[in-house]
Amino acid sequence: MATKRVAICAVAQHKNDSDLWHKRFQGMLLDVLEELQAQTGFTFDEETGVNTIVSCSDDFFDARTISDNGVTDVLGAQYRGEEKMAQEGLNAVGYAQAVILSGYADLVLVMGHCKESQSESRRMIANMGFDPFYGRAVGLDNLNAAALQARAYMKKAGLTEEQLAGIVVRARQFAARNPYANAREIVEAGTVIASPQLCDPIRQLHAYPVSDGAVGMLLASEERAAEFTDKPVWIAGFANCMDSYFLGDRDLTANFALKQAAGRAYRKAGIADPKKEIGLVEVMDAYAYQQPLWLEGLGLCGDGKGARFLDQGGQEKYRVNLSGGMLAGNPVIIAGLYRAAEAALQLKGEAGERQAPDLHRAVAHSTTGAAGQFHSVLILER
Amino acid sequence: MTEYFGTTVADIFATMPKRFKPEEAKEVDIAIGYEATGEGGGKWKATIKHGTLKVETVEGELTDCKTTIHTDAETFVGVTLGMIGALDALSSQKLRVAGDPKFLMLLLPKIFTPYVAPAKKPDAVTARDIIATLAERFRPEKAEGVAMTIGYDLAGEGGGRWTIIIRDGKCAVREGLADPLTVKMTMEAKTYAGMMVGTIEAVTAFTSGQVKIEGDMAAAGATAKYFRKYVVPGATEAEELISLRVTNSIEQRFATGPVMGRWFAGIREKKFLANRCPKCGRTQIPPREICAWCRVRVHEFVEVGPKGVVTHFDIVYFASPDPLTGAVRDTPYATVYVVLDGATEREAITVDLKKEDIPRLKEGARVRPVWAEVTTGSYRDLIGVELDEEEGSL
Repeated sequence: MATKRVAICAVAQHKNDSDLWHKRFQGMLLDVLEELQAQTGFTFDEETGVNTIVSCSDDFFDARTISDNGVTDVLGAQYRGEEKMAQEGLNAVGYAQAVILSGYADLVLVMGHCKESQSESRRMIANMGFDPFYGRAVGLDNLNAAALQARAYMKKAGLTEEQLAGIVVRARQFAARNPYANAREIVEAGTVIASPQLCDPIRQLHAYPVSDGAVGMLLASEERAAEFTDKPVWIAGFANCMDSYFLGDRDLTANFALKQAAGRAYRKAGIADPKKEIGLVEVMDAYAYQQPLWLEGLGLCGDGKGARFLDQGGQEKYRVNLSGGMLAGNPVIIAGLYRAAEAALQLKGEAGERQAPDLHRAVAHSTTGAAGQFHSVLILER
Repeated sequence: MTEYFGTTVADIFATMPKRFKPEEAKEVDIAIGYEATGEGGGKWKATIKHGTLKVETVEGELTDCKTTIHTDAETFVGVTLGMIGALDALSSQKLRVAGDPKFLMLLLPKIFTPYVAPAKKPDAVTARDIIATLAERFRPEKAEGVAMTIGYDLAGEGGGRWTIIIRDGKCAVREGLADPLTVKMTMEAKTYAGMMVGTIEAVTAFTSGQVKIEGDMAAAGATAKYFRKYVVPGATEAEELISLRVTNSIEQRFATGPVMGRWFAGIREKKFLANRCPKCGRTQIPPREICAWCRVRVHEFVEVGPKGVVTHFDIVYFASPDPLTGAVRDTPYATVYVVLDGATEREAITVDLKKEDIPRLKEGARVRPVWAEVTTGSYRDLIGVELDEEEGSL
């Protein structure tokens, strides 16, 4: 009999760092695995333990064909079932949920890793995501594509340099309270505005730093969750949506895919008005401008009203990215998994100095592909 | 049956009834004799009368023919396919017509559809067929100012030795190998044919040692552009679609970490350091953070080897080129599975064996490491292993 609900029982994060040159990613994953086991006491027993692992990694970042092959031992996946969700950590949670809802397994371990510092250039890897004829030829990468979107969105929403700087300043203030964040130094608005242009209008401090990290979580069926935690966080809804591959096919500020994904996730969670029913949100803001843009897509901010939302305290109303967000540094492919981990910690009341009070429901968001081609939305509740 | 230009004389006559256009031959009343000399030749008689056609092979003399054609089998096929000009053949006396040649040249195209060589499976095409089309496929515009002689020594069925002479915007093909040659390519005839019809990749054939090139390598590489692509007879030529050739390379810095790092530090000192699982006792090579069987961290290091025993091996004849440098490994080479002394049974290392030892290699052989003179902490510090015959084999 398949279960009705799926719980996140525990999460564990490796601290994000810009250059973990001394550590294999296998070692990072093992730290995460051991912390999850310490928290929950789960085993790999064939009858009662974890027998299904969903991993998240990327062949290009690992420079290894079928990247999950190289980490199975430290996932506990040897002699067990293992499946890889390429490049999208939050989607791995959605996949793990489906595995449990289907009745195939009642306990699933989700483990993601990425060392952006391993390769000479994460931008070259992002460039490989583009088609070899058009996109690569003109040097498109995630930054370049995002900057096109940034300019279009700043114009549409009336977003200013000062507001972008404010997003970064605030992110660092929260990151300073998050022991797992990478960039935890407080910065002033003037420093942000004076930071060099990477790709006009995106400045260096508008962009997330190169990051190495690993993150994991244990998911269980409703029937078994209590064995591993007394504070389960329930998955109320999950959905995703893919937009066009070619940038030119898309209206870069319309949030088409995110609105679709959010709408489906809200329906599953029975949420009629997200503005009234969401207490906290973690969005994947690889660049400062994306934070208000994705909040528009999630329906927490009116269309094209990003600037006003910032001025009127929308970030505090919806407790946006109390972790410091991706702006404080997560590897791109698992930034969404970190978002879910942080949202889960908040609902469990285990978010330490960054803990928000009186939470019932939270949203974790993730995106992959240039300028938000693909979006995943996860609704969690206590 | 001997083929010329990928077809036979017999096939041309066999397809005549199908190619016959009775509507066009209503007024025609003629018997034509054909004599094709040489291999694959013979005598045929075609009788066309009021829209009917009768084709027969003839033993002995050709009789009652209004007109007869005498030629060698190769010229006959060449003229039929349009590979050899009919007028050239006539003026060089390679083709003789008893009767009115002009009348025939006007009549035949009218009452027969052109002969098309039967479609061949690519593997049925021989090197000889392909060489025969070289001159016709020559692209003078691509070979301006080029002067070279290319020798082909193609062994086996359908093979032979040819010299291709490119000079003054012209191309000639001669039997035999000229001296000197700009470049000489030696291979199996079927390898050449495979490369030309696209069933064998040229780079792979070269790197795996199937093609031997002597002389100017660059000239060998350039030959393809002086000729139009060979098309298997009867195959429709595919539209040329543009493809993009790119080498993508992103430099990586792989961490060894504190556990595997110990192994490489050991290698630098010419020592094999395994780590031993506290639970099952296996010696992990290379050492890893965790024993995947027991799911416990592994901390204790033990030195194993340096000698060991070969448990399995293979011998590589078809080597992959190095994807980063393009360097070609010298084949054949042996890859051996060695269990170092003191290591647990399932923890073998995979290494090269010294080339000279390959003939004497067998399972159970004792081996010792061969180290590089300068060691840097890379697996290549271990050049490989060699047979340790002083001890004898097990």
